[in-house]
Amino acid sequence: MIITRSWLSEYINLDDISNEQLCETLNSIGLEVGRVVRYDIPEDIVFGYVKECKKHPNADKLNICQVDVADEVLQIVCGASNVRKGLHVAVALEGAVMPGGMRISAVKLRGVESHGMICSASELSLVNINDGIIEFDQSIGNIVLGTRLRDNHYLQDTLIEIELTANRGDCLSIYGVARDLCVAFDRSIKSKSNKNTDETSIGIGKVLQLKHPASVDANLKFKVLDIKNISLAFLISLRLAQIEYKSLNTADAFTAYTTHECGVILRLYDYEYFKAQGQNDKAIVSLESDTNGFLCVQGKGRASIVGVMQEKDSLFNKNEGLAIAEASYVAPGLISDQMSKSKIERSSSFYLSSRGSNPDLKMGLKLLFLLLQSYGDIDIFGGTAEVLNHKEEKVVVLKLHEIYDIIGAKIDKKKIVNILQKLDFNLEKSQGDTFIAAVPKFRHDISNKQDIVEEILRFTGIDNIEPKPYLLKEANRLSEGYFRFKKLKHYRHKAAYNGFFETIHFIFAHKQELVKYNFDTVQNKLDIVNPIVTTMDTLRTTLMLGLLNFAGQNKKVGNQNMGLFEIGSVFTDKREEVVKAAFLYTGSFEQEGIINSATSTIMDFGHFVQLISNIIGEVTLSKATCKHSLGHPYQCADILQDNRVIGSAFRLHPTVQDNFDLQDTYMCEINFEALSYETVHVKAYSKYQSSFRDLSLLVPKTMEYATIKKIIQQSKPGEIIRFYPVDKYEDKSLKNLSSLTIRFVLQSDEKTLQDEEIVSCMDTITSSLKDKLGLELR
Amino acid sequence: MKEWYQKIQSAGCMQELEELRIAILGKKGVLAEQFAKMKDIENKQKAEFAKRLNIAKSEFNKLFNEQKTILQARELESLLKSQQIDVSLYSATSNSGALHPVMQTMEKIVEYFTSMNFSIEMGSMIEDDFHNFEALNLPKYHPARDMQDTFYFKDEMLLRTHTSPVQVRTMLHAKPPIRMISPGAVFRRDYDITHTPMFHQVEGLLVDKEGTVSFANLKFILEDFLKYMFGEVDVRFRPSFFPFTEPSTEVDISCVFCKGEGCRVCSHTGWLEVLGCGIVDENVFKAVGYKDVSGYAFGLGVERFAMLIHHIGDLRSLFEGDIRLLGQFV
Ligand SMILES: [Zn+2]
Repeated sequence: MIITRSWLSEYINLDDISNEQLCETLNSIGLEVGRVVRYDIPEDIVFGYVKECKKHPNADKLNICQVDVADEVLQIVCGASNVRKGLHVAVALEGAVMPGGMRISAVKLRGVESHGMICSASELSLVNINDGIIEFDQSIGNIVLGTRLRDNHYLQDTLIEIELTANRGDCLSIYGVARDLCVAFDRSIKSKSNKNTDETSIGIGKVLQLKHPASVDANLKFKVLDIKNISLAFLISLRLAQIEYKSLNTADAFTAYTTHECGVILRLYDYEYFKAQGQNDKAIVSLESDTNGFLCVQGKGRASIVGVMQEKDSLFNKNEGLAIAEASYVAPGLISDQMSKSKIERSSSFYLSSRGSNPDLKMGLKLLFLLLQSYGDIDIFGGTAEVLNHKEEKVVVLKLHEIYDIIGAKIDKKKIVNILQKLDFNLEKSQGDTFIAAVPKFRHDISNKQDIVEEILRFTGIDNIEPKPYLLKEANRLSEGYFRFKKLKHYRHKAAYNGFFETIHFIFAHKQELVKYNFDTVQNKLDIVNPIVTTMDTLRTTLMLGLLNFAGQNKKVGNQNMGLFEIGSVFTDKREEVVKAAFLYTGSFEQEGIINSATSTIMDFGHFVQLISNIIGEVTLSKATCKHSLGHPYQCADILQDNRVIGSAFRLHPTVQDNFDLQDTYMCEINFEALSYETVHVKAYSKYQSSFRDLSLLVPKTMEYATIKKIIQQSKPGEIIRFYPVDKYEDKSLKNLSSLTIRFVLQSDEKTLQDEEIVSCMDTITSSLKDKLGLELR
Repeated sequence: MKEWYQKIQSAGCMQELEELRIAILGKKGVLAEQFAKMKDIENKQKAEFAKRLNIAKSEFNKLFNEQKTILQARELESLLKSQQIDVSLYSATSNSGALHPVMQTMEKIVEYFTSMNFSIEMGSMIEDDFHNFEALNLPKYHPARDMQDTFYFKDEMLLRTHTSPVQVRTMLHAKPPIRMISPGAVFRRDYDITHTPMFHQVEGLLVDKEGTVSFANLKFILEDFLKYMFGEVDVRFRPSFFPFTEPSTEVDISCVFCKGEGCRVCSHTGWLEVLGCGIVDENVFKAVGYKDVSGYAFGLGVERFAMLIHHIGDLRSLFEGDIRLLGQFV
């Protein structure tokens, strides 16, 4: 919503209010100032009058003008195509400094002296109204030659754009904003409607017949006028340019101007459009509902959809003749509802009607006629043709203490009454401390107590409310959500300590990419209807592609070694949300430097798993095949905890690695829900010393450690509390065997183990490995 | 004897000292030689001679020990010196990873509200129209829906546009008093310099008996919270509009970059908008079947907080996984 200071001043006295005060007040009452433009016209730009205008003898496009600026008549050479005798113009005198910094001085143009410049709007940094120089008229007041433009408040004006919230249709007009400001500055609104618009003795009934169904969900008023002459005044062009409205014709400019001023939706129809050929002389205006349920005004064809649009053919498109003026109002809820059901093109009047146009139709018509009379010559036929849909007025009852309770502070009752009355609430029926407030029709947004309290709060000033702590009853609010949050935090912090950077990726994915790497996709029938870009056209089913893309991006800018992780939601093919944790490590895991003599170690499978285990706790790996095609076929494992598969870890397939231009890369994805976040229960531990023994076995190269591990687990005596592989060695002499060293940790709960007891334990292991797998000691 | 004393005192290393010890106190040493002479001395003078030799012997021992201590200290010192390194070579950068500034900011926010006895509630990202809009006083035709361009699914479900559906669900399942926050990712169909299709919110809700929760309470906690987050800033409340609260306000803080003087970040206003809040609209309570209650609600964007706190200029950089940004949070 764009307002200007001069326009506002037609309804509220702002003489003692600075622009800063004005903006501050608008903000404080909830009309957020988004943009302020000050039109600052330089000194030495004065009004002039073109007394004579002749073609330049040596230049086709130049004219030699004699311009009266009261003290003298200046000869000015002007290149504008619209310059002509009889114009009131803006003259930059010699010595004037233009907004761009150019200084005006006397010059010779093709041999002719020129003393000054006739200015266009853009040369003065005003909004662009027309091509060429400005043509002033009396719409900006009586023009006194030689006086400065900057002393005219229509020109030296301030434009303010307000970012209105969707509920405040009542402020979508100059009048509406002025009404709010009148409450804030505690002054009365100026009225224009007490001026007279004379009507002729011929009644509207003689020239117009209105046909409509018994009940209509809208209010409409029609008047007929005889337009003798209208022309577009400078002020109307200026202000329509300021509010960025491009009018279709003169009549449209007049209605748009009035609508912006008062918020009533107005139209000017060509009378002829409603005259049936060969019938009597009366125009017939009929109201009918169309198939979408919209109320339409019909003449020869559809003339307009009430509250939505007007057909070009029905526009009054002349400078004289009979016209029908219409003011209309539809309830915003109704019109938005209809619009949401049938998608027809929206227009500027729909923006207004869906947020709540001004229902004071009489005021709208009056202002339109006053404007037409000021800048043209019209006769208005007596009387009005109308349909009115009388809705009961809304009444809200609220008690003084309820206001106090909601705000949390006491506010002077007189002040409350003053605010509500200035906002046009009718409080006549109020009793004692109970307010019975009839809501003005233009306030669609107000229907309950809280709405009224908001009005009071707005104008009391929120800054004046003393903050008060809420008194709470103690309660344990450590909910399930709290523990989920704590668990998330726990693992995120551990991941960061172990060298991984946390990333956040949008939950969207590129379906094509998911398919390319054989990941599940969300079923088509459950997918997004309106993706924002094709690379985010579905929900992600894995975190890994996001990490991989991030790693690739980092490589492009020169970072090739890094750990990345994300803990976040992914979706199954049935679109169920699951939280996963994914990790990626690429390149070397330390910087080259003094400590490693410039040779850093490249990440490998074992170190990667070690890092993951540092974060999520002890894990067991078992050979697996990736369902997706990111994985190296021979370096891929299921990750198990407590004998349950909770995720997988793999080396990135060399082909994919090349696609993303990465070094050796390892990844894993884990079902976050499966990770534990429970209290540790301490187990009893032995007080006696533990010992260890290493066993080196000759193992066929094809035999997996998992097989050996299984046998040991089955046969191991209780004294062996832990065992793990410590070395694997191959050389030519071993042929198709390799040497595997396993370390056994032995400990008893009852005593320190003696050598012979240890030997006996180890013998058990050796013989079962020999019996069951045929393995020999090295 | 004197020259022996001097030799001991000038011994330069342990080996030299040991050689001297053998030369003096050894079996064939100087002292042994002297003791051997005893047998040739007359008894009368023997005692005197023996006494002198014993004094000399203990004097030698004492000198040896003294010199040994000196030499040992000297040798340790030279060993240590040989182990000297250039410590300045080892100025190190951290090898650990880092937490994402958005998640860190979220943690900081959540910590405040848990300490103020708010519970944390979480919900799912995919929601239906009722919980995301209708129950929040946003019927289908409401113009305010324009503000929130929504991602829809083919089965008419949607990606939540705020975390408010969590509050609706909490109210539907629990009785007042309620004091909760809901942190999480939300989605709007908007993608430009200042908007990403996904961002994070923390929304709060307090519901108690009618007449117990006021706007002044909301003002208290939010002013306190913003000072906890941003330090000593001025806080300003401006009336605004949200369908689910009435009265509604937006909350600004004095610009953290220019201290309110006006700069590019605050569009020369001196203020930065950081929060939306208000008194819960009675229609919201009606939708969840609550009667005779009052409450407040507030909501904030975590990315915006993170950007203001850490002086991050580009919103989109938060979703690019770029080590050049993340590496600064180690
Ligand atoms: Zn600033």
